[in-house]
Amino acid sequence: MSNPSTIRESRVSRTAVMALMFLLAIYFLLPIYFLIVAATKPQGELASTNGLAFSHFNLFDNLRVLFTRSDGVFGRWVFNTVIYAVLGAAVGTLISALCGYALAKFQFRGREFLFSVILGGVLVPTTALALPLFLLFSATGIVNTYLAVFLPSIVSPFGVYLARIFANAAVPQELIESARLDGAGEFRTFFSVAFKMMTPALVTIFLFQFVAIWNNFFLPMVMLQKESLFPITLGLYEWNGQTARAPLLQESVITGSLVSIVPVIIVFILLQRFWRTGLAAGSLR
Amino acid sequence: MSTTITRTRLAVVAAAASIALLAGCSSSDDSSDKTSAAPCEPAKGKVTLQYWNTVPGMDKVVDLWNKKNPNIQVETKNISNDQYGTLGNALKAGKAPDLSQVGYDELPNLRTQNAFVDASACKEATAAKSKFVPWTWSQASFGGTGVFAMPQDTGPMALFVRSDIFKKYDVAVPKTWDEYEAAAAKLHKADSSLTMTFFDPNNAEWFNGLLWQNKAEMYSYADNKWQVNVESDQSKQVAEYWQKLISDKLVRTDLANGSTQMYAAYQKDQIASYVGAAWGYSMFRDNLPKQAGKWSIVPMPTWGTDGASGDWGGSTVAFMKGSKHLYESVKFNTWLNSDPEALALENKLGGLYPAANAGLKLPALSQGVPYYNNEKIFDVFADSSNKIDTSFAWGPTQKTVNLALQDAMAKAAAGDGTLTDALAKAQATALKSMKDQAIPATAGK
Amino acid sequence: MTDTATRATRAVTPPGDRRRRLNGGGPRAGTVIAFVTPFFLPFLLFYLVPVGYALWQSFRVVRRSGGQYGTSYTTFGGFEQYGQVFQNTEFWSSIGRIALFGIVQVPVMLFVALTMALLLDTPLLKLKAFFRITAFMPYAVPGVIAAIMWSYLYSPQLSPIVDLLGDIGLKPDFLGPGAILWSTANISTWLWTGYNMLIMFSALQSIPQELYEAAKLDGASNWAIAWRIKVPIIAPSIVLTTVFSIIGTLQLYAEPAVLRQISSNISSTFTPNMLAYAVASGNNYQQAAAISVVIAVITFVLSFGFMRLTSKKAGL
Repeated sequence: MSNPSTIRESRVSRTAVMALMFLLAIYFLLPIYFLIVAATKPQGELASTNGLAFSHFNLFDNLRVLFTRSDGVFGRWVFNTVIYAVLGAAVGTLISALCGYALAKFQFRGREFLFSVILGGVLVPTTALALPLFLLFSATGIVNTYLAVFLPSIVSPFGVYLARIFANAAVPQELIESARLDGAGEFRTFFSVAFKMMTPALVTIFLFQFVAIWNNFFLPMVMLQKESLFPITLGLYEWNGQTARAPLLQESVITGSLVSIVPVIIVFILLQRFWRTGLAAGSLR
Repeated sequence: MSTTITRTRLAVVAAAASIALLAGCSSSDDSSDKTSAAPCEPAKGKVTLQYWNTVPGMDKVVDLWNKKNPNIQVETKNISNDQYGTLGNALKAGKAPDLSQVGYDELPNLRTQNAFVDASACKEATAAKSKFVPWTWSQASFGGTGVFAMPQDTGPMALFVRSDIFKKYDVAVPKTWDEYEAAAAKLHKADSSLTMTFFDPNNAEWFNGLLWQNKAEMYSYADNKWQVNVESDQSKQVAEYWQKLISDKLVRTDLANGSTQMYAAYQKDQIASYVGAAWGYSMFRDNLPKQAGKWSIVPMPTWGTDGASGDWGGSTVAFMKGSKHLYESVKFNTWLNSDPEALALENKLGGLYPAANAGLKLPALSQGVPYYNNEKIFDVFADSSNKIDTSFAWGPTQKTVNLALQDAMAKAAAGDGTLTDALAKAQATALKSMKDQAIPATAGK
Repeated sequence: MTDTATRATRAVTPPGDRRRRLNGGGPRAGTVIAFVTPFFLPFLLFYLVPVGYALWQSFRVVRRSGGQYGTSYTTFGGFEQYGQVFQNTEFWSSIGRIALFGIVQVPVMLFVALTMALLLDTPLLKLKAFFRITAFMPYAVPGVIAAIMWSYLYSPQLSPIVDLLGDIGLKPDFLGPGAILWSTANISTWLWTGYNMLIMFSALQSIPQELYEAAKLDGASNWAIAWRIKVPIIAPSIVLTTVFSIIGTLQLYAEPAVLRQISSNISSTFTPNMLAYAVASGNNYQQAAAISVVIAVITFVLSFGFMRLTSKKAGL
């Protein structure tokens, strides 16, 4: 263990490993760095200056243009994204938690069957659902409304799966029993006892579902035509498609991309530990 | 452990799916087309019409109408973001407007989806025939079988040339496509960074205009079947011609029409001409102000001695199924597309080149245009408009065919196959897509 | 575990209350329904019904009566739509393209992710939190925005990478016909490596240290410990990430759709999903449904096939 050759070997491998990891870190950071640099430049300097070096600091002007373009439609997209992704994930987490808790803690006929059906849902590709949903929704007139994107987004079979695992692991049966003996109803037991104990797990479920909605581009693209209902992703996609004809949009696409990912990145980093719990649990199966 | 769960899971999903399948069985998306014209009765009292379009400034034109017609109020909605997607959705949901802008090439496609209502019960509608350039009426009335739309604007094609570059290299402005190719070779030889024009592989509409010019009549209806002739000798001639220009590197294929990159290439004097349409005159004027005085507009190069021209773009305003106010819709639609005051405003604000005969006599369209050396460029377009093949028709699955054509043209531009192959692909796609829609079709002779 | 829990529940349930409960134990049927329905109803409406509807649609065909612009209606057509799909060369080339993509991109990405996870789990490395966070950061970026960012790095007009490579005499064409598939693959790799790494890393962290102690005392190198002990233990996580990656690959849409805005080398039928969308927008919903069903079935078969294959081999 302590002979000199091992030490030399480990010094060499230490350096090699650090170098490799730095290269990978550069790879992961480069596009984001480029975005930050580009978002601070005036439109005219995007093509004419080095893409990795700062030039005129124009970020605030870019932001002003971004938020005032087309009657401030970008602000609307931010608001919509919050509705779809944040509110959607919150509602989704709550219903997943209720269902997962019931599957973990209640004994009832057909429980495993129900769980299997829900688990099967994990493997249904969500993009395969979008087109039939579109047809069903257009028959009911829901197409091109908030509900068209919001309603399908709250359903997360994976969330139920996680909630069941977490409820099993985090909520001791004795506590539930004693709450019942105290005469508490099942809902009161859930909200006053289980909910608190499951909170870290619920944050994880929330995060997963948030990402799923935030990433789901196909559904809003199929469902929405009204610009005022778009989430950020669809809006930026549309703008990006118009940059060939309206080059001034380019700077807004870049600034808009930055504005929309920075808060999410920060929240993700702050909530890192929840990710790891969730990912570890998710890989347990 | 996972395998056993897996198998049960699959079975369960299959069972659940079949339950849902039974539940879904009752719904049906059938459409019932009434081929007979809808009744044309004036409404009692005030009505409000919905009119969807993509024309900049159209709301101002409508304001003008609304002021004059307190009992027929019109509301506009701009659907330029995703014109046919929005319209298709609205149709599916049964919420289509009274009137909507529809491109000529999409008319048959939408009609097979039962999107229109026949306004021929309204006298004013049938009487409007004489007000429009013949080919536009022919397409909007589906060969005179009804009145499904009123023509709004057209895109008669012409050649935009950088006179200064032609002069500099002592090359005559070409009058035929053969001369055009020879001139392209000369210019490229004189300056290797200079090409005659660009070929945009993602622009089937433009390419269709070129086919139209060569009287490549791609669709007709005979023997109770659509006769599909996308791959005709005329269209092959056009395809082979442009393929040769591409193979000889006499045209660029890396530019998209109307893109920043395209303007940059023109700005840098890298391209000497532009095969365009009437509505394109303002594109150059507005995007390349420094090149004022350097551009001229001349007639399209022709195929041999035939002076025929083509059309690229333009739209109609269609009567949509479900409208409850056909009488009022006809009144507004006729005014919108044939009244000189309305046409002048549309031309000024939206750059529309009118499909109405009255529009072609607008003062704005008979003057010289400063950007083009005060040339009377609209005379060139008017002349072009008169030489457009009137019997040309579009297919009922044009959108799908255009997409397939573009994919294959992009391949050809990347060196994988030729434009002739692209035509073959378009022909096959046309037949297949029509078969999928149960539209009787056969390869034309 | 649930067994003991059940027994405990039964023990405290007063016998008189039994008939009001399902299956003896647990709370009243109404309570169970109240807990389950808020999820299950939307799940039924927005998951199961669309799946069923897609299946139903995929067995329908359009028919038409009367003339040039006849009336259309749909009717049962058996496997006609599926026959069309299987004869569709565009469909097969999109599947072939995505298979090539998956065969290269998924192993590369997972290999990088596994290497990073293993390195983060050794004492060799400093700045672990930094590396973990930078790798995970792209996960916060939606596919569309990632593709927009990378498209700027690919475009000849704006890209500093193209500039840099140009300085050393290279003329890369990231958007050319040969490169475009790999430029798309790069975006997926960038987006998902960190996520997969974190799954594997979390699994590594849950391995008790004692497991390695013996090997260390026997003089096994870090390398040997990593490949002989750690990798087999976290095999289930690797299987899971592979399955998720296969599902993701087959669903590819946003990234190529964004690149299509700047490159004519991505056709409208580049991936199976793009094909389905193109077919649907050509008003052929029945065939689009059949394509969706086929994609879903392929996804199922591949994911399960892979899970079975690996579980047999590893004896899990």
